Amino acid sequence: MKNENKVLACVDQSRFADYVADYAAWAARRMDAPLELLHVINRHPETATSRDHSGAIGIDAQEHLLTELSNEDESRSKAAREEGRMFLNRLRERAVAAGVQSPDVRQRYGNLEATLTEQEDDVRLFVLGRRGQSAENTQRDLGRNVERVVRSLHKPILAITEGFTEPRRVMIAFDGSIVTRRGVKMVAGSPLFKGLPVHLLMSGKKSQDASRQLEWARKTLESAGFDAPAALVPGDAESVIAETVKHQGIDILIMGAYSHSALRGLLVGSKTSDLLRSAKIPTLLLR
Amino acid sequence: MNSIKQDWFSNVRNDLLAGLVVALALIPEAIAFSIIAGVDPKVGLYASFCIAVVIAFVGGRPGMISAATGAMALLMVTLVKEHGLEYLLAATVLTGVLQIIAGWVRLGALMRFVSRSVVTGFVNALAILIFVAQLPELTHVTWHVYAMTAAGLAIIYGFPGITRAIPSPLVTIVVLTAVAIFFDLDIRTVGDMGALPDSLPVFLVPDIPLNFETLAIIFPYSLTLMVVGLLESLMTATIVDDLTDTRSDKNRECVGQGVANIASGFIGGMAGCAMIGQSVINVKSGGRGRLSTLSAGIFLLLMVVFLGEWVSQIPMAALVAVMIMVAIGTFNWGSIRNLREHPKSSSVVMVATVVVTVATHDLAMGVLTGVLLSGFFFAHKVGQILRVRSLAEDEGRTRTYRVLGQVFFASADRFTNAFDYKEVIEKVRIDVSRAHFWDITAVSALDKVVLKFRREGTEVEVIGLNEASATMLDKFAVHDKDGTEDMLLGH
Repeated sequence: MKNENKVLACVDQSRFADYVADYAAWAARRMDAPLELLHVINRHPETATSRDHSGAIGIDAQEHLLTELSNEDESRSKAAREEGRMFLNRLRERAVAAGVQSPDVRQRYGNLEATLTEQEDDVRLFVLGRRGQSAENTQRDLGRNVERVVRSLHKPILAITEGFTEPRRVMIAFDGSIVTRRGVKMVAGSPLFKGLPVHLLMSGKKSQDASRQLEWARKTLESAGFDAPAALVPGDAESVIAETVKHQGIDILIMGAYSHSALRGLLVGSKTSDLLRSAKIPTLLLR
Repeated sequence: MNSIKQDWFSNVRNDLLAGLVVALALIPEAIAFSIIAGVDPKVGLYASFCIAVVIAFVGGRPGMISAATGAMALLMVTLVKEHGLEYLLAATVLTGVLQIIAGWVRLGALMRFVSRSVVTGFVNALAILIFVAQLPELTHVTWHVYAMTAAGLAIIYGFPGITRAIPSPLVTIVVLTAVAIFFDLDIRTVGDMGALPDSLPVFLVPDIPLNFETLAIIFPYSLTLMVVGLLESLMTATIVDDLTDTRSDKNRECVGQGVANIASGFIGGMAGCAMIGQSVINVKSGGRGRLSTLSAGIFLLLMVVFLGEWVSQIPMAALVAVMIMVAIGTFNWGSIRNLREHPKSSSVVMVATVVVTVATHDLAMGVLTGVLLSGFFFAHKVGQILRVRSLAEDEGRTRTYRVLGQVFFASADRFTNAFDYKEVIEKVRIDVSRAHFWDITAVSALDKVVLKFRREGTEVEVIGLNEASATMLDKFAVHDKDGTEDMLLGH
């Protein structure tokens, strides 16, 4: 089963997982690709839960400690596994109800980033929630894993928000870069958005080069049979995109993600992270 | 970035608490091991502080505790007695240098030759040595000392039944010190054993002549210190790996031990290594990250420097009780039960490691004995796997010998003796397709067989040499080269 080109939905126990499953099911159906629902269980071996500070070691201290610690790990793993199985089955039924033939469910140990990187070769599209389990008790508007995970992957990632509406209208935030040019070609060649209007939006100063780039994108899409209205709007990318999304009733935003280094992101902030925060609709991130 | 965060800050509260528990147990150990080595308690205390702090940054096994240890202290006794402290400091620095080299050339990989039985023997020998080192404190003393030690042990093992929130060795030390002061008992205290640290450590270069004579004195000591230090560190790392179900970087640990020892030598501390008992205490108390090691070192120094006056009043009996606990906790009691159940050869290896170590007070000698013995037993066992069967063919004119198994130094004689040279026969075929020739002894054994047959006028054909055996033969065998008979039989 090498290179099965599946849609991989990363789910956890938060309510966002429902929408991740919905969008993943939608994408799998449109692309006629197999769907897998993946739950990653992180065991955190680097943390401890000891209450024993007696500092006394008796006969066979080492053996007893080993048994005790492995028993703890065992029961924790079992509990996590059972819980995971329950909600994965629920999500599976949800995907089946949404019309996916036989979605696969899987649980893996490890951390999210490393697990997804390992799986990458078999995946066509990742679907993950912009916020997850920890969203319930933190005020963060972008899940702590998202940037790290997105940076480590090289396949398209659909980062979704709350709620599900069947996408009717999508938009590419086009900046003429290699990444978004490749994205235009990808959209043109993929069954994912077939039959939907694909808006092209370029922001920033009007220049001959920009309009030529935009024209190329429009032609590429139109020749693939898409209805592709293009617009070059001057102004700050973030607000222009937010405006247009609202006015045109866009359901999915497509954009390049994290083309600059993490260090630069730390210093000047990352445009991708800003956009992910401000755009309230699902976003297809191109790497 | 991620792993730095994970190594240091993923378990902060537990690491700090565990560090405190470990520091409290480290103080009596550092003092006791200084006394074993014959130096002032401050030498061991500075060493423990320095090694713990440095290894927290450069070690390869987060959560493992390294400090001044008994295994190392025992190796320094004669050096200190004959040449003094300054030579010990120099030897400590040299030990560090050797350990860094060992890490660079990846000597850690040699650990795979140290079998489980040898490790068990090492651990048991270590526990026995720690216990035996306490005996001088328990001989020619008044009954008070015995009563105090017994009370100490009772508190150590009984107090956790009341609460596990407070380290019971601490309770023992506090109670026994209070009793000794209150009743004004005339028993030995830590203060009687030599100087305690009165300030933070300072950098100093060992005061020795830098010449070849000095090197000749310290090098043998440094070499054994390096071996024992790395052995105990790598064994402890494996134990912590198993306990926490995580992995460690063994070569980084070797280099780290070296750096820590060099640092220790330059601030007036003795050589040290990882400690099995303390590492178990650390993991048991919830320590997992580098912060636990670092905080153990820092707490230790703070307590000793600022409570020095009180530390000097601790009766030796309290320390003896703590050390007996460490010895009991380190010893592998299951191995005694296993003596009867395990194969005889592994029991012999274990016992031999213990006996040689206890006799020489040198863990390196014990481990060497154990490793050699296990290699010997292994060679013996594999040497048994050799069968030679024969079949007459062609109306008794030809005989085919089929060799099956491993031919090497331990089985070469069996191989040579398996052939019947006196049989009157035209041709012998030796089929070695299911045998393997491992070394020069095996090759020359085959030579010998072939030549013996030829002397009887029998034609010999060797068939089915597999590739590895064939290279061995191409290089070293003589029977298939011209003029062989003259060469071999001429003398």
